[in-house]
Amino acid sequence: MSKITVPIGPQHPLLKEPLSFLVSLEGEKVMDSTLRLGYVHRGIEKLAEQRTYIQNVYLIERICGICSHIHSTTYCQSVEALLNLEVPKRGLYIRMLLCELERVHSHLLWLGVLAKNIGLNTLFMYAWRDREIVLKIMEEISGGRVSHAVNIIGGVRVDLNDKHLSLLHKGLQELKKRIEEILRSIENDRGFQARTRNIGQLSLEEIKRYCVVGPVARASGLDIDIRRDAPYAAYDELSFEVPLMTEGDVWARSVLRILETIQAIRLCTQIINNLPDGSISVPAPRRVPAGEVVSRAEAPRGEVFYYMRSDGSQNPARLKIRTPTLTTLITLPGQLKNMQMADVSAVIAGVDLCIACGDR
Amino acid sequence: MNLSVLIFKIFIFPGFLFLLVTALFLHWLDRKLIARFHGRVGPPWYQPLADLVKLFAKEDILPSGTNLIFAALLPLISFASVLTASFYLPIAIQSTPSFQGDFIVLMFLLSMPSLMYFLAGWVTQGVYSVIGGNRSLLQYFSYEVLFLLAMSGTAIASGSWSLADIRLAQLKEGPFIFPQVVGFLLSLAGLIGKLKREPYDIPKAKSEVIAGALTEFSGKKLALWYLTIQLQTVVGLSFLIHCFFSGFWQMNTIGGFFIFFLLLVILQGILSAISAIYARLRIDQLIHLNWNIFIPLTLLHNIYILLI
Amino acid sequence: MNNILLKIRSYFYLLPNIVEALFSKPETIDYPAVTHRLSESYRGSVRIIAENCVGCGLCVRDCPAAALTLEKDSKHSFRLIHYRDQCTSCGQCELSCKFDSIYLNNTYQKASANRKDFFEVLVDKTMKK
Repeated sequence: MSKITVPIGPQHPLLKEPLSFLVSLEGEKVMDSTLRLGYVHRGIEKLAEQRTYIQNVYLIERICGICSHIHSTTYCQSVEALLNLEVPKRGLYIRMLLCELERVHSHLLWLGVLAKNIGLNTLFMYAWRDREIVLKIMEEISGGRVSHAVNIIGGVRVDLNDKHLSLLHKGLQELKKRIEEILRSIENDRGFQARTRNIGQLSLEEIKRYCVVGPVARASGLDIDIRRDAPYAAYDELSFEVPLMTEGDVWARSVLRILETIQAIRLCTQIINNLPDGSISVPAPRRVPAGEVVSRAEAPRGEVFYYMRSDGSQNPARLKIRTPTLTTLITLPGQLKNMQMADVSAVIAGVDLCIACGDR
Repeated sequence: MNLSVLIFKIFIFPGFLFLLVTALFLHWLDRKLIARFHGRVGPPWYQPLADLVKLFAKEDILPSGTNLIFAALLPLISFASVLTASFYLPIAIQSTPSFQGDFIVLMFLLSMPSLMYFLAGWVTQGVYSVIGGNRSLLQYFSYEVLFLLAMSGTAIASGSWSLADIRLAQLKEGPFIFPQVVGFLLSLAGLIGKLKREPYDIPKAKSEVIAGALTEFSGKKLALWYLTIQLQTVVGLSFLIHCFFSGFWQMNTIGGFFIFFLLLVILQGILSAISAIYARLRIDQLIHLNWNIFIPLTLLHNIYILLI
Repeated sequence: MNNILLKIRSYFYLLPNIVEALFSKPETIDYPAVTHRLSESYRGSVRIIAENCVGCGLCVRDCPAAALTLEKDSKHSFRLIHYRDQCTSCGQCELSCKFDSIYLNNTYQKASANRKDFFEVLVDKTMKK
């Protein structure tokens, strides 16, 4: 049989963002694959050195569209640590509320993309219909559906009044019902399981060897979650569970992400029921004293890691960002060996790549 | 009959124009129903016509190295074969010329477009076209057999291979749907496989092979391909209705025409619902489903029909 | 009993859902026949209350997209210019202003093919000689 090289190239209906993946097939089986990144590289780390700390809040938000709030949360946390600022509790709670809402949004978007690549367009439309509820809530609170611009150094800049709270209550109740219906569909539908069970399995040793983080690691049995292990922004005052599965295939990752979404809704309900009073931010000086700091947060795809060094001026001296997608990308060529061509789309969609995060 | 009546019958009703309008209407119904199943509004009634008109205005380019004569012949041959197939079917409850064995001729003419689809992928030599064409050939070998075997149940029950005799047997004994429900469902499955609709649309799966064998076509040729697929739906569904439901009406009557159209709409609705519920199957799951489950069921069903 | 029903339904799980969706109102709107209403907190265009503006330049300094420029002749004679094609509607100018003069409302501007439509003079307090 002849060898064909199929470019799952920079532009492909399978991918949300440009990524070059050359798969060499023999018949229908994948023999080998090569990966090339860098199509969305914008030089954010270098740009951050040329802007002030206040301007960087908006630059960092535009690293990724889906996890924008988490990136700006981590950035603001690192600057506040350098300035020794204590953000008031109400500000921390509002930050956490938007983090969890963004997690719900990201997982629903990912489920739609996976269902579309498998061929189940109905589940795609239903998941994105439920995502509209979350986007409406986020637009009412912050002013933007995807780019919120809620964080400032020293706290948040929007407050929740009674209208927002009642909207949140209604929206979260409706969302909980619909996501439980989606969970039942995934667990019971035979067509979905026929395309995702036992495909793209990663064992626990491979996870540890490649240092994979996030839902991909939790689906293979590695129990890590920054919100529980190293709590930031008042997560130690809320109670939630971290779901864990052991199969490690695409189906386990799907079920795990929907379980995480249900936990995120539970966290949001706790936040709006226990919202403390007080101010939402403290004023922050413009010059940051010299020092270096490391800050981590749990993005929808895993652990986000920031290293910042400042030298006493108004611009940062060095900002290094390590996003979780880089770790999962490295495991892809190993996963795709000896697989059928039709399963490539299920694996690539199931591992939830965010190339804009990966390229920065 | 004189020449003007003949031209009217061939080109307007029940000929070319009527078939075109029915094909576009069923295509619109399919898209609107699937959209409503998803919770969306769906396209307006003129959308398939607008798509066709837009395609006729587009530029027609092909990769260098393609055999241009073949690339132009293939859509024409498939379009012509589907139109010829409609010649033998009483789509608008008209009386058609019928002879022994026209069942088999109809089957053959309806299977030509799938063969031409595979050759189209081969001729344009793109990576995605070749993969899509290979997959469609595998599917062609499996689901044409299923369609033929499942529809042969009606021919066996009526005792001859002529469409007119199948209809006469149904007028005597009642429509064949009632003793042969299993055969009807299996031939519906075979029709979905022939038309490459979801869940059997792996040859043209958008997320893997962009558009399958038709990736490199554009302009008038692509318009002809789309028309062929839509006409194949009409002719295939009419074939099914004729073989299974034919006892419900008299020929050449208005009432019969409406019942036929209503049955077309209902069957298209069933096809759209099946497209919305199921996920796309992989090629090996498709072949396994066909040869391990559907074909043995069909053989058992045909033996049962033979015995009663 | 529930288990057996679930097993049967698993062969065509989404069928009740699609029948329910067929008979409910669709979630999408028939744009442009039906228009969409923006929420009140949507961050749209930059507006100014010109009496309050003193030309301090805090908004210019903090804008991340360099969309605001201040042309100062003397302490009380200046022009504040806004480049609408650079603006990302982030709202930092509204936060930085200490005199309550610049703010964002929820209108968005229409697209245009002319570059001059995007050059807006917000405040013109130049002294005529």
